[in-house]
This record gives sequence, C-alpha cells and structure tokens, in this order.
Amino acid sequence: MDAILQVENIHTFIGQFHILQDVSLTVERGSITVLLGRNGAGKTTTLKSILGLTPPSEGRVIFDGQDIRGRRAFEIAAMGIGYVPEHRAIFRDLTVAENLKIAERRRGDLDRKADFIFGLFPDLKRLYRLPGNHLSGGQQQMLAIARALVPDNKLLLIDEPSNGLAPVLIEQMMEAIRGLSATTTVLLVEQNFIMASQLAQAYYILDDGKTVHSGAMADLVKDKALIHRYLGAVGESVGGER
Amino acid sequence: MRVKAIWQYGKVYIILLIGLIILSVIGWRAMGQQSFVRTALSGLTLGALYFMVAAGLTIIFGLMDVLNFAHGAMFMIGAYAGWQFYTNPTFLFGLAPLVLALVAGIVVTPLIQPLAMRWAVPARWQRTLRAVVIVVAVILIIVALLGLDVRGLAKTAMVATMVDPLAEATPQEPLAVFWKRPLLFFLAGLLIALAQARPGDRTQVIRSGAAPRAIVALVGFVLLTVAATLTRESGAISVLKMNADARFFLSLAAGALIGAGIGAAIEISLVRPLYVRPTFLILATMGLSFVLRELTQLLWDPLPYAMSRPPLFSQPGKAASILEWFSKHTLTVEIMGVTFPSYRLFIIALGLAMFILLMLVMNYSRLGMTIRAGVQDRDMVEALGINVRRVFTLVFALGAGLAALGGIGAAPFAPVEPVMGDRFQMQGFITVVIGGMGSYSGAAIGALLLGLARAFGDFLALKFSLTPAVSEASTVIIMALVLLLRPAGLFGKKE
Repeated sequence: MDAILQVENIHTFIGQFHILQDVSLTVERGSITVLLGRNGAGKTTTLKSILGLTPPSEGRVIFDGQDIRGRRAFEIAAMGIGYVPEHRAIFRDLTVAENLKIAERRRGDLDRKADFIFGLFPDLKRLYRLPGNHLSGGQQQMLAIARALVPDNKLLLIDEPSNGLAPVLIEQMMEAIRGLSATTTVLLVEQNFIMASQLAQAYYILDDGKTVHSGAMADLVKDKALIHRYLGAVGESVGGER
Repeated sequence: MRVKAIWQYGKVYIILLIGLIILSVIGWRAMGQQSFVRTALSGLTLGALYFMVAAGLTIIFGLMDVLNFAHGAMFMIGAYAGWQFYTNPTFLFGLAPLVLALVAGIVVTPLIQPLAMRWAVPARWQRTLRAVVIVVAVILIIVALLGLDVRGLAKTAMVATMVDPLAEATPQEPLAVFWKRPLLFFLAGLLIALAQARPGDRTQVIRSGAAPRAIVALVGFVLLTVAATLTRESGAISVLKMNADARFFLSLAAGALIGAGIGAAIEISLVRPLYVRPTFLILATMGLSFVLRELTQLLWDPLPYAMSRPPLFSQPGKAASILEWFSKHTLTVEIMGVTFPSYRLFIIALGLAMFILLMLVMNYSRLGMTIRAGVQDRDMVEALGINVRRVFTLVFALGAGLAALGGIGAAPFAPVEPVMGDRFQMQGFITVVIGGMGSYSGAAIGALLLGLARAFGDFLALKFSLTPAVSEASTVIIMALVLLLRPAGLFGKKE
C-alpha cells in the first residue's frame, strides 16, 4: 500500500469554533476516496485544512512523504495538489482561457494538457473565449475541474462536484472523474451517495468534526444501517431521485 | 438579442455618454465655444490627475480590502522626488547609498533563516528578542545619520535656480567620512533580516531556491551601494548637465520608482502584519501619512515650491496647432480657438497613457489576470499555487508608483507642498466611490466626471459670482447622486 496523503489527528479552528476535532484519513495513490457526512460535519474544512487554507492547529498532514502542516497554501498547492472548491468557484471576470491559463505553474502547462482537458470536457473548447459568468452551472463545474488539471497535480481535492447539477450532467461529471483517476489520485467530498458509491473505492465518514467510520466502499453499500445513521436522508436517496 | 446584450453590459457607459453629450451641447450653446473648450480642457487635466491617484487606490482596495490613507502621501512624495530630481538631485544621490545599503542587509533573510531558527531561544523570549534586535537596528540607523547634514542636502533644490543649476550643487561629504554611514545602514539591515528570520522559531519552512536568489540580491545591492556611494557627487552633477527635457522625463521615471519602492516597503513592514485587523490598518496608514507629511515639512519647510517646466513646454510664443507644438515646444497651444498651456495637454496625455498602460497590464499580463482573479477570490488564487502575498506587494508598489507619477506630473503646475497629497487623496477616494471599488475603468470615468464637474463648477462660480464652494460641493453632489442610484458605484461589484 502506498499512501500519497496521510492526515493524522488534525484539529482546526475557524475563529472561536473548533471545527475539526480529530480527523484522520489516508488516501492511496491512484485511488478515489470519498468523504461522506452530513452538512456541517467538517468535510469542506478537511479539504481546506489539507491545503492550508484553514491551517490545522494540531496533528500532521503528510503529502508525498513530507509533513506539510503549517506551510502556506500556495506552497502546498505548488507541491502538486489541485483544488476544485464547492459552488463552482471559477473566476467569473476571467474568460475560460484565462481561468485555465492562470492555473499554469510552468509556462506551457496549458498547451501540454489542452488535448487531455478538451477530451474530457469538449464543451470548453467551444466556450474558450467567453467570460466565466456567461457559462451555465454545469459548464462552470467542468471549468473548475479542468482548471485543476492544467498543472501536473498528484492529488485532486474535489468538493461536491454534483451539487446543483442536472442528472445528465452528473453522469458526465462522473465519467470525467473516473477518467481522471487513471492518471491521478482523487479525494472527493460528495453528498450524492449514488455518485460517491459508484466512483470511490474507499470512504471516510465525518461526523461533528471527527472521522467516525472508514473502509472499502463495497462494504458500506451493503451496510444500510450505517448509511442511515450517519448520512440520514442523503443515504436514503440511494436509488431515489436527486 | 444582440442589442439587448449590448445594453445589458454597456448601459452605464451608454447613459453616461448620452448625458455628457447633452450637457456638452447645452454648455457649448450657453457658454460659447471658447469658454466651453477651455473649461472642458481644464476639467480633463484635473481628471487625469484624479485618475492617477484613484487608479492605485481602487486596485489596492479591490484586491486587498485595504483603504490606503497614505496614498495621498505617495502623490506628495512623488511630487517632491520629481521636483528634487529635476531641480537638484543632490539630496536623492546623497541618501541613495544609505537606502541601498539597508536593503542589501535586509535581503539576506533567507540565508540566515536556517541558522537562526535552530537557535535554542525559549518560546517566550522569541518575541522580545525580535523587538530588541529591531530597536538596536533603529539605534544603528540613528547613529549612522549623526552629523550628516540631511537638511543641508534637502536645501539644495530649494535655492536652486534654473539659470545655473550647478552653482547650487552642495558638495557631499568626503568619502573618508561618509563610508561609515552605508556600512552602519548595512549592519542595521542585517539586524532587521535577523529579526525577520525569527530566531528559535522552528515551525518555519525553508523554501528551496530562496537562498540562491538571496545571494544574487545581496551581491546586486552591495554593488549598487558601492556604485551609489562613489557617484554621490558626480552622479548628481551629470544629471544636472543633462538636457533638461531628458532630465524631466528621467525625473518622471525616478519619482515613480521611488514611489513604488516606498510603497513596497510600506506594504511589507506596516500593512502586511495588519491584514487581519482592517480598522488598525486605516489608522496605521493614516498615521503614516501624517508622519510623511511632517517629515517633508521638516526637510523642506511648510512652503509651496514651484517646479519649473522643462523647455519642451516653455518656449515663448504660441503654437497654432498641436502639430506645430511638436516642432516649436511653445508654452501654449491654440486648440479649437482657445489658447491653452501645452503642459496641461501633456498631463491629459499622461493620464490617458497611464489608463491605456493599466488596461493592457490588467487585461493581457499574468499579473493583471491574477489581480482580476484575486479581486473575486483570493483564497482560490492561493490554492492554485500563486503567492498572493507577493502579488499584494507588487500591487501596492504599482499603485504607489502611479500616485507618485501623478504627483510629479502635477508638480510643474500645482504648488509642491506638504499638504498637496491630502487634497488629491480626498478627490481620489470620492473618485473610487463613484467609479466602484476595485474597478480601474470606473476610476477613469469617475475621475473624468469629477474633473469636469470641478472645472465647470469653477466657471459657473466665477460667472455668477458665487462662492468657489460651489465647485467643491459639485464633487460631493455627484457622489451622493451616484450612490443613490448605484450603491456599489458605477462599475462596482463590492459594496
């Protein structure tokens, strides 16, 4: 087993609030791992803590063999972590081309990756010169993921890619993320349990800022009681509408 | 569909344009061509200066949420620096080695960091140690300045005449006495570097590649210091012997660079530690503007000075057209039936050039792209692996440099005095509020509106013998109107 990321007992405060109270997880190289849990369980904060946007005050974050806790976010990102935030946080005043260009870490990154990116998201090629605020929700989400693919990232942190998307687009998004895992590792936050269960090999469940459960996805799918206990209504939507 | 889209994105421009055209036609009819054109050109001149102050303010606010109350001081410093450089650069050349030596010391931080952080300094003493080191550095700087006649150097430009500039070039201290001063400044810089390296703090991350860059910077600044030390006198004299027009354009560049350098220093030392406390930041920058104003007053007395115009804009006579001015370099130019000072036309051109340059930088450079992205979402820019803090420093320097450039541009036709920045800063803030916080094109439009309102207000006040307060009130009236209709300003996204 070869772990690209190990998070060991981290605690994160945002202002006065003790958001993460002992979170640990391990992401295997080349896998898709999903973080599950209710709203407010600390999933997004976990991603931000790994990246240093909300630095953990305790614990260790080991990425690619180095302890990165306490480093600044741009240094951590530059080590090879791509971030796709929730709510499709693309730069609305920048064109699609600029949104991709700004993610370059070395000159020519975008030229090298263009074929790969347009292969995953053909729409973006057509929209290349448009400003970000002209894009639909699904197109923005594709752009947000594409942006994380421009540099050579070893790990992608993707936060709720299906949030607010039509079912057809969710399908497309799943295909794209599955396509990614051939070349990189993905740590996913996802409320849509169907999507999560079909994509991920491993899962972690967060509750009240703690990791309460983890294991192989195949086992979780069978354990309806566990799903119900920690994921509530979200888990019940297995096979249901979204 | 297409018309609708154009209306959607350009309605502010369209309404403003129609409004301006209607007002122009009314003005033209009521005032007559001569007074109208003259007033409009005066308004454009003011507008160009307001823009140069407001552009920096708005970008700095948009990106970093910092209301920089020291921005007017940057304008004032630019004016003084340009005036000094043009009339008699003895002061600038005399102090350059000291500043360069200080910087040469400070840049070694990454070199001593790996050693300093291994020191066994107990956690509770670390802060005290840093404070003590800084205090020692300040004492060293004071000691280094003892006996140096700074005011004497400053006086040189005050008494200089353009007839024979060399006559007033005060001789600098001989090298045999002077050499200790840059050395002490270098030591002070080293101490500041030590404090920055945070001795005993083992949580720091050593960045690879920082050390080689620090060595290059150290060697570069040491060489510059030595060169500046040796050319203190000859440098100033050769600048004075230069063609006055070339010297004028050099002084524009020098003033902007000095402004940018001071801006960067302010960001790193004063603004950076306070990003988390915005209220403190307002007080700190405001306090700094007082300090800088008093300092200039101490050096140059609270008197207004007039910087003479370069020969390019001061040949006697009148050019019949702008084209003719290019060959005759006259003091005034006939333009649409009005005799107008050629230097003011130059300021309008300078303002326009700055706007175009800024537009190119913002739209087509990586820095501009990063700024536009950062205005919307700083964290995401950082998450892409971009050092946002360094972008902040650059933007602060850019804004200060623009304001300083405006100051030098203003120097040959507005009195150079310690309070000159305050007036322009007030106008700059109102411009930014009108244009919308964070939008440089908004700042351009706002500056244009304010400049025109001011000029036409002055005209009306004179014509109907009202108090000049009318034109001052026009500024605030426009601001109130705009804020009533669009609380975020004309092009603002933030409130």
